[in-house]
Amino acid sequence: MLKNYFKIAFRNLLKNKVYSFINISGLAIGMAATMLIGLWIYDELSYNKHFENYDTIAQIYQNESNNGDTETSEAIPRPLEFALREAHNDNFKHIVMSSWNFPWYLKYDEKNINFLGSFMQEGVIDMLSLKIINGKPNGLKDLNSIMLAESTAEKLFGNEDPIGKILKLSDSFEMEVTSVYEDIPDNNSFSDLEFVMPWKFYITWQDWIREAEDHWGNNSFQAFVQINDNTTMEAVTNKIINVKKERSPEEAEFNPEIFLAPMKDWHLRDTYENGVQSGGRIENVWLFGIIGTFVLLLACINFINLSTARSEKRATEVGIRKSIGSHRSQLIFQFLSESFLIVLLSFVLAFGIVLLSLDGFNNLAAKQIVFPWTNYQFWIASILFIFITAILAGSYPALYLSSFNPVAVLKGTFKAGKYSALPRKILVVAQFTVSIALIIGTIVVINQIQYSKDRPVGYDKDSLIQVPVMSAEFSGKKDFMRMQLIESGAVVEMATTSSPTTNVWSNRSGYDWEGKPEGFQEDLAWTAVSYEFVETLGLNLIEGRGFSREFASDSTAVILNETAVKYMNIENPIGKLIRDSDYNDPDPAPPLKIVGVIQDYIVQSPYEPVKQAMYVFDAYENESYYNLRMNPDRSISDNLETIEAVFKRNFPNVPFSYQFVDEEYGAKFRAEERVASLARIFTILAIFISCLGLFGLASFIAEQRTKEIGVRKVLGASVKQLWILLSKDFITLVIIALVIGSPIAYYMMSQWLQKFSYRTDISWTVFALACSGAVLISLLTVSYQAIKAATANPVNSLRTE
Amino acid sequence: MNILLSLNEATRAVNSGSNRINLLEDITLNVNEGEFISLMGPSGSGKSTLLNCIGMLDSFTDGGYTFLGQPVHSMKEKNRSKLYKDYIGFVFQAYHLIDELNVWENIETPLLYKNIKSSERKALVGDMLDRFNIVGKKDLFPRQLSGGQQQLVGIARALIGKPKLILADEPTGNLNSKQSREIMELFSQLNKEGVTIIQATHSEANAAYGSRIINLLDGKIVP
Ligand SMILES: Nc1ncnc2c1ncn2[C@@H]1O[C@H](COP(=O)(O)OP(=O)(O)O)[C@@H](O)[C@H]1O
Ligand SMILES: [Mg+2]
Repeated sequence: MLKNYFKIAFRNLLKNKVYSFINISGLAIGMAATMLIGLWIYDELSYNKHFENYDTIAQIYQNESNNGDTETSEAIPRPLEFALREAHNDNFKHIVMSSWNFPWYLKYDEKNINFLGSFMQEGVIDMLSLKIINGKPNGLKDLNSIMLAESTAEKLFGNEDPIGKILKLSDSFEMEVTSVYEDIPDNNSFSDLEFVMPWKFYITWQDWIREAEDHWGNNSFQAFVQINDNTTMEAVTNKIINVKKERSPEEAEFNPEIFLAPMKDWHLRDTYENGVQSGGRIENVWLFGIIGTFVLLLACINFINLSTARSEKRATEVGIRKSIGSHRSQLIFQFLSESFLIVLLSFVLAFGIVLLSLDGFNNLAAKQIVFPWTNYQFWIASILFIFITAILAGSYPALYLSSFNPVAVLKGTFKAGKYSALPRKILVVAQFTVSIALIIGTIVVINQIQYSKDRPVGYDKDSLIQVPVMSAEFSGKKDFMRMQLIESGAVVEMATTSSPTTNVWSNRSGYDWEGKPEGFQEDLAWTAVSYEFVETLGLNLIEGRGFSREFASDSTAVILNETAVKYMNIENPIGKLIRDSDYNDPDPAPPLKIVGVIQDYIVQSPYEPVKQAMYVFDAYENESYYNLRMNPDRSISDNLETIEAVFKRNFPNVPFSYQFVDEEYGAKFRAEERVASLARIFTILAIFISCLGLFGLASFIAEQRTKEIGVRKVLGASVKQLWILLSKDFITLVIIALVIGSPIAYYMMSQWLQKFSYRTDISWTVFALACSGAVLISLLTVSYQAIKAATANPVNSLRTE
Repeated sequence: MNILLSLNEATRAVNSGSNRINLLEDITLNVNEGEFISLMGPSGSGKSTLLNCIGMLDSFTDGGYTFLGQPVHSMKEKNRSKLYKDYIGFVFQAYHLIDELNVWENIETPLLYKNIKSSERKALVGDMLDRFNIVGKKDLFPRQLSGGQQQLVGIARALIGKPKLILADEPTGNLNSKQSREIMELFSQLNKEGVTIIQATHSEANAAYGSRIINLLDGKIVP
């Protein structure tokens, strides 16, 4: 039976090549898009699933409030660890204090390579189920030990056995390799943990870390935990939420709340608004899930429309089959198996498309998705996908076609009813509504990115590079280096900063100044900078001056940005003092004198207002970056070569590395740009699929009306009149879709834009562009068929009767 | 003589606008097994409607219809469909072969709906091709055959399920007189082998092959 059905289906496919092509290619493209999106979603959802303890691992987060604004951060103070171990230890299987994952140089023999790694407590090995493939099961016992990821060991030691070998950390500390663990695969939070060293080493390493031991206000560390199996994240959070408030009266004014962020949320739900979880990448998962579903539906609509439009051709077969004993359910089954066959062919094609485009897709989406050949779930999902698509595309045509009355059909009087085209029209409108909403959405996303990119940054980011301070050798050399670099001719100015130009690593409070409002809880971005900071970055001074070597007192000077002046409510800021507010401190820091006010420049998000910031003179070697303004009169490559030579001469043991500041700045747009480029592709596919369907319908209508067109031509209709006659119905549908789709898109994109403080508005030109584009494309699509029919020789079409 | 089917004041009405029109009115008729009946009457008199109703493609709106002792008028769709699959074969004026299937497959199709095993199907279709002398044409598609050949295939398809009753609606209407004669002779032959036949026809000559003539006018039997 099935064989008989498939035979008919195949012969029909071969007989109607145009329709078969439209159906199969449309479905294949739709299915390929949906499969890619499916793989992408699967990849997003399987983030961190590598870890056996996925369900019980959490990171400790902290909410702190300033003037009613609550900020959420994973940075926590050191004493929190002791408080948790002392009072709440029974909730946890592990508490693992950790430094930030940071680049460090590891040196062995001649090799001195930069790796990302952390200092962590021993519990990490069991918590993350690190698989030790060589060496001690616990490689963090001794103070000077280091555990290496397999790939790290290979890069440093090649085929040598690394265990017991001595490495030099930052060219200064000797660390013994104790064990090697299997690399943590991509798509995991710890996939770039290239080595681990003991936390107990870290806390003896620098004064500020040692001093942070009992300093509840120094939020500079991370803590990961694994909770016990018999409790829940919520229960533990409820127990520990007030631990900081209770133990640190000074910090209580910021209302600190300690809570657990479960591992499953790290990747997908990492956005907090005013202390409350408010989404994150999960929104993109939904967005693309919906787009994928729509693209598939669009392709199914083509199938539905073409099958029902051609129903008159299949009607006779239905009548005959019924008259020789077929039950309606058997016909439904026959038509479903036909759509199954077509979907199966489309799937094979889609499969090929996915294989061919996966690399490009990975590139666009910044993913490392590998085709899941060996994942049985994928194959089950594929089979389900084929069935679901076949049912989506095939059930309406099957029900419709199988309903024909054999008596009417066989008498030859069968004509599809007056309203039989209505469902098709509705579906075409639906297709174009989706397409238009996607076009408008994509244009708005692109506009928003462009709008933010056009926002003045406030400094000159071209030919500015930053060289990270990676070694203790750099200390005390900045003025000497500046001289040499300027002398070399490659650099016109240089300044150091404690945070990169495009980020802030430190936020401070605890100040007092003239005019500070009662009970005001300040929160200021804090950066320590060297003398030529203003000149190097090319900042605009509004008042006062930059730091100057001519004023000895500048070692306690500060520069504010405009927003800070407004935020702190300081009138005539130049010369005013900013003091440490802790009057009980027997050894207070000297007050800072405001010497200049600079125009705001964008440091963090280009979509948000610039944060109030203070730039203090760096009297304590807080530098993390050398910022170099390169000589504009020389080529960049010359400059870089010269600069590298100067660094090599002074720090022969430290590999030279640098970043272009404008690239760092550009990275801020990457997430949105990724969304935009994916959205653009799926929009193009949606339009293509919709137009493919329109093309099929237009050719069907033209074919159906061949005789009418012939008669009209004989009666004197012009090609233009016939073209309008045949196109206008379709264009009407597209225009209805415009009217429905535009407000929907407007509403959705207004919502989307809400998440940017600095946002473009949706101007009428967006709609004009989208609508004229849609009309033009659909007009081109139907016109081909219309003009072909209108220019055909009427004698041919009339003779066939 | 066994009665194959009987109609008792059977009526088929349709609504046309606000009017109710009887396409067939109070048809009372007994058909015995082994009869060969010719339905005659002018175009529009209701011959096709009557055949369709007897063949259960359509149904009477009033009156009684008994087939092999079973009341068709009060039967569930499922049972009716079984009766009809087992006992009735249709032959059409326009042949109505499935264009996408070749001769062999066209003849085989009714067997598929009766869930007959593949080996048995092969044997049955093979016999039928033999009998009608169309073995050589078994791989051809309908459009490659002449009208008479197509009708032969149509009859073969009607017969393949071993029906007790063949309903033929102007089976020779599209054929020339030589082809018509051949088809009629085939019907006579089948009738002799015990198949009951009801054919609708305009042609006196064709009607003469039958054992009984029933005249229809405006949906009524005229004596
Ligand atoms: N569904 C229907 N609705 C209205 N009139 C019908 C319908 N089916 C058939 N008729 C009419 O019933 C009459 C009988 O038709 P038919 O049985 O085909 O006659 P014949 O086969 O004798 O030429 C015709 O006048 C036809 O127009
Ligand atoms: Mg008729």
